Amino acid sequence: MGERKRHRILMVSDFFYPNFGGVENHIYYLSQCLLKLGHKVVVMTHAYNNRSGVRYMTGGLKVYYVPWKPFLMQNTFPTFYGTLPIVRTILIREKISLVHGHQAFSTLCHEALMHARTMGYKVVFTDHSLYGFADAGSIHMNKVLQFTLAEVSQAICVSHTSKENTVLRSGLPPEKVFVIPNAVDTAMFKPAPERLSSHEIVIVVISRLVYRKGADLLVEVIPEVCRLYPNVRFIVGGDGPKRVRLEEMREKHSLQDRVEMLGAVQHSKVRSVLISGHIFLNSSLTEAFCIAILEAASCGLLTVSTRVGGVPEVLPDDMVVLAKPDPSDMVQAIEKAISILPTIDPQEMHNRMKELYNWHDVAKRTEIVYDRALKCSNQNLLQRLSRYLSCGAWAGKIFCLVMIIDFLLWHLLQLWKPEEDIEEVPDFVLSHDQDEGISLDNANHISR
Amino acid sequence: MDTNMTERTSPTQTKWRKVAYGGMQPGFDDNHTDESFLEEMVTNANVRKRDMLKVMQDSVSISQYLCIVTLTGLVWIYTLRSTLNENSLLLLDVTLLGLGFLILLLTQEMFSLNLLFHYILNISFFTTSLYLLAPIYQTLTRSISSDSVWAVTVSLLVLHLFLHDYFGSTIRTLEAPNNPTLTSCISLNASVVASVFMASRLPSSLLVFANMLFSLQVFLFAPLVTYCIRKYSFRLHLWFSFSLMVATLAFVYTLHLFLFVMLLGLLVFVTVVCPYWLIRMQEYKFEINGPWDEAKLCFEIVD
Repeated sequence: MGERKRHRILMVSDFFYPNFGGVENHIYYLSQCLLKLGHKVVVMTHAYNNRSGVRYMTGGLKVYYVPWKPFLMQNTFPTFYGTLPIVRTILIREKISLVHGHQAFSTLCHEALMHARTMGYKVVFTDHSLYGFADAGSIHMNKVLQFTLAEVSQAICVSHTSKENTVLRSGLPPEKVFVIPNAVDTAMFKPAPERLSSHEIVIVVISRLVYRKGADLLVEVIPEVCRLYPNVRFIVGGDGPKRVRLEEMREKHSLQDRVEMLGAVQHSKVRSVLISGHIFLNSSLTEAFCIAILEAASCGLLTVSTRVGGVPEVLPDDMVVLAKPDPSDMVQAIEKAISILPTIDPQEMHNRMKELYNWHDVAKRTEIVYDRALKCSNQNLLQRLSRYLSCGAWAGKIFCLVMIIDFLLWHLLQLWKPEEDIEEVPDFVLSHDQDEGISLDNANHISR
Repeated sequence: MDTNMTERTSPTQTKWRKVAYGGMQPGFDDNHTDESFLEEMVTNANVRKRDMLKVMQDSVSISQYLCIVTLTGLVWIYTLRSTLNENSLLLLDVTLLGLGFLILLLTQEMFSLNLLFHYILNISFFTTSLYLLAPIYQTLTRSISSDSVWAVTVSLLVLHLFLHDYFGSTIRTLEAPNNPTLTSCISLNASVVASVFMASRLPSSLLVFANMLFSLQVFLFAPLVTYCIRKYSFRLHLWFSFSLMVATLAFVYTLHLFLFVMLLGLLVFVTVVCPYWLIRMQEYKFEINGPWDEAKLCFEIVD
C-alpha cells in the first residue's frame, strides 16, 4: 500500500444522508471503501433541516453540511458565486487534491466543480441519470452539463447507456468517460433463511408511484396477471401521485385481498418486504442503472423488468426477464418468470450477486480514474477559456464570462483572506484494527 | 468479501460485452469505447420532408381567413362612415346567410330538410334575442372614449387572428363533433367581444343589430363554410381564396393606399416567405433518439 499514491478527495453533491436514494447510497459506500483503501474522503452537501455543520460518520468519514437551504427537490438555490468562499475554505483546510461531484441536477455539485477548476484542482464528475434531447428541461440541463463537463478531468457513468447519453449531451471525448456501475451491499440483502412455499406466488413492487417509474403500466398489468393466475399475489411498496390510480384499479377489479399496498417503505425495511416475495417487478420508463433490481436479486428474487436505459446491462440474462414497456409484453414476461421460478434458488442467486457486484471493486476502479485525473496537464486561464468558447455561439460567451468573474472573485478572496490564514485540519487516523472492525452493515444505523 | 471478478473469468474470453456486472472486463479498461458505441442511436427519425408547393397551398387557408377578417373590418368602417345604411346591411346579412346555406347544402351530403328546419329555428331564436339586446349594446361603451374602444377592438382582432384555428381541426362538422380547444374558444370569444365593441359606436339600434348579425355570421359560420368548401374540392377552395384575396385588395386599395401595401405585404409574407422559411429551417433539424429516451406508453391514461 505504501508506494500507492494517497488521494485526498472531496465528494460534492446536494444529495446525501439523511436523504435517501441511489446517489446518496453510492456516495456513502464509495467513500467508505475509499477510506479503507487508505485515501482521505470528505463529503460536502447542504444542510438538512437543523443538521448543519460538520459530522463524522462510520470509518472517520467527515461530512460538511454547508448552511445553504435547499429550495426545490433538495437542491440549493443556484447563485453561481455564493458558495465560492466556503468551497475554497474547505479545499484548503482539508488539503484536498481532487474534487468529485455527483449527479447532474445538483446545483451545489456544479458550483463546487466550477470553483475547484478555477482554483486549479482536478475534478471528476459522476453522472447518475439519463436525459432525452427533446423537451425544454432536458435542453437546459444538457447546456449546464456541457458547461460543467467542458473542463472536467475525467467523468464516470453508471452504465454504458448512460455513457453514450453523457457523451452525446456534453460532447466529451468518449475516452474520458469511464463506466463504473453501482453495487449492492450483499450483506444487507440476504435471502430469506428458508424457501417460501410455491403454492402461492408473491410479486413485489417497490418504487415511487410516479409516471416515470411506470405506475400506469402496473395499473394495466396487475389485473391481467391476477386474472391469469389465481395463485398470484402482489405487494406494492411506495407512495406517490399515482397511488390513487392503483387503488382505484384494486377497487374496480375487486383485488383488495390480492394486492397489498404498503405505502412508503423505509430503506431499512426494504429487505423484509423483498424476502416475502418470489418475483420482483420493475416497471420504470427510464433508468440509468436501477439499484432496486440489484437489491432484489441479492435477496434471491427473480426480476421482471422493462427494457429501458441501462437496465439490460445490469444482470445476466438468466437472472432477469426483460419486456418491452407495454402491458401485454410485460404480462408475457411475468408468465415466463412464473414458469422458470422452480429452477431459481435464492441462495445461489445471492452468492452469484456477491461475485458480480462489490463496492470494493467499484472503489478500486474509481481509484484508477482518480490516478488518471491527476495525470492530466494543468492549463492556464486562456487555454481553458478557449474550451468554453467552443461550447456554443451564445452559451460559449456566457460560460467564458461566468468563468472570468469566478477567477476575479477568487483572486479578490485571496487578497481578503490569504491562504496562510486558513488553518489546516489535522488528519483523524483510525488505527488499523479498529478500521477492520467496522463493517458496512451498520452504516445505516449511524447515518439515521 | 473482497473478491475480484477480473481474476475469476477465463482469460480466453476476450470479447467485450456491453454489461455492467462482473467487475472490470479482462483486457479492457473502464473507458473502453467499443465499435458498438452509439450503435443504437437514431437521428432524425420523425422528420417529414416538406414540399414547397404543398406548404404554399396549405398556407392559402390562412390568407383566405385574413381576407375574410379584413372584409369584415371594411364593412364596419363603411357602416361607421354611413356609406352603408340599415337596409343594405340587412340585405347583405340575408344574402350571406342564404349563400352560406346554399354552400352547405351543396357540399354536405348528410344535409336533410329536417336539419335545415332545425337550423332555421335556431337562427331565428338567435336573431330575435340579438334584436332585443341591440339597444343595450348601443349604449354599452358610451362612457368610454372612442380611441380606447378602437384600441381594444384592434387588439382583440389581432388576438383572434393569432389564436384562430385555421385548419378547422376543431370545427364541429355534421359527421364528427369535435371538442374545441381552449385557444379556439379564446379566439372566438375575442372576435365576439370585438364586434360588440365596434357595434356600440353606431348611432341607431337597428344599425347595431344589423352590424352585430353580420359580424357574428362571419366569425361563427365563415370557418365552417370555408372548411366545407375545402373538404369538397381543394381546387374550388384555391379559386375561392384567390378571388377573395383579389376582391379584398381591390376594396382596400379604394380605401387607403398604405393599408393596401400592408395587406399585400402580409399576404405575400404568409403565402411565400413563411413556407420558404419553414423549408429552409428543416436542414437545421437534428433529432436524437436512443435507448436513453424515456419509454412512451402505448395506451391512453384515463384518470
